[in-house]
Amino acid sequence: MARRNLTARPGVPALSFLLLLLPVLLAAVPSEAANTVSVEIGVVYASNEGTSMDPALGTLRGKLQSMFNYTSYRMLDRKRRSLAVGEAGEFELPGRRMMRATPLSAEGNKVRLSIQISDGPKNLLTTTLGLNRGGVVLVGGPSHQAGVLILIISAE
Amino acid sequence: MDCRTAHARIGEKADGILPRDAGEELSGHLSGCPSCAAEDAATSATGPLLRALVGIRAAEKAPALDAMWTRVRAGIEEGREAQRRPRWIARWVWLSAAVALAVFTFLFYPTGADRSPFHPRSFDVAVEDVESEAGTVALVDKGEDLPRVIWIIEDGKT
Repeated sequence: MARRNLTARPGVPALSFLLLLLPVLLAAVPSEAANTVSVEIGVVYASNEGTSMDPALGTLRGKLQSMFNYTSYRMLDRKRRSLAVGEAGEFELPGRRMMRATPLSAEGNKVRLSIQISDGPKNLLTTTLGLNRGGVVLVGGPSHQAGVLILIISAE
Repeated sequence: MDCRTAHARIGEKADGILPRDAGEELSGHLSGCPSCAAEDAATSATGPLLRALVGIRAAEKAPALDAMWTRVRAGIEEGREAQRRPRWIARWVWLSAAVALAVFTFLFYPTGADRSPFHPRSFDVAVEDVESEAGTVALVDKGEDLPRVIWIIEDGKT
């Protein structure tokens, strides 16, 4: 009898813990998601060294090939930040460069992003973009090794 | 058989190690020797007497032995309980930690979206303003099916 009681005990605290924790966390996630913008940046190195095409570029592969004259596209890095409106998120780029993204207030399915790209003290680009959620814009041109960097900036 | 040998055989008989033929020989001697017969009777009676004495002493000590065994059993059970308790506490802690980890992983582990290939849903972008201190910026729009591009031309490099 004592053994049966012992085997029945461990599930009770674990289940209680789960039941207590889940609603708290699940309740917190949607409210946070509604007020934040998920900013993602893919850093692509485009060059004429070889003919490789990074599969991580997905459906953008064909579009990059049709838009640019480079023969090789390689994803160097990919980062994502969940940012509240007005909150600046910094993304390190190759070669001392830095990108700062700040979501601005927007209505409906739109996302407005303030983007700053700097190379040390030098301001390479300051722009304000309006995108649909899930939309993508490319920022390219900064030189890197034997080619250039193309940044895939998306907001969700 | 002489009486000396008979005494030795009587001892062996009492110990139960006397062979059958020697026993028959001893019986023959005892039937004709009252002295050895008396010795045999006394020796044979010693075993049952000793067993009876041990039984009496054991009966006298039984309550004390029972009490001692009760204490020993209680001590053994107590030791087992003490061993079981930490095991269950440890299992409880591990289970809780495992559940917490599973929930945390489920909620916060980066989903496949971080590693999955890019599949943008829209290329519709409005560029509200743009400026650069480093060079020229070109806005490239090759149609709705292609992404809008902001191209930075650093001091004529690219």
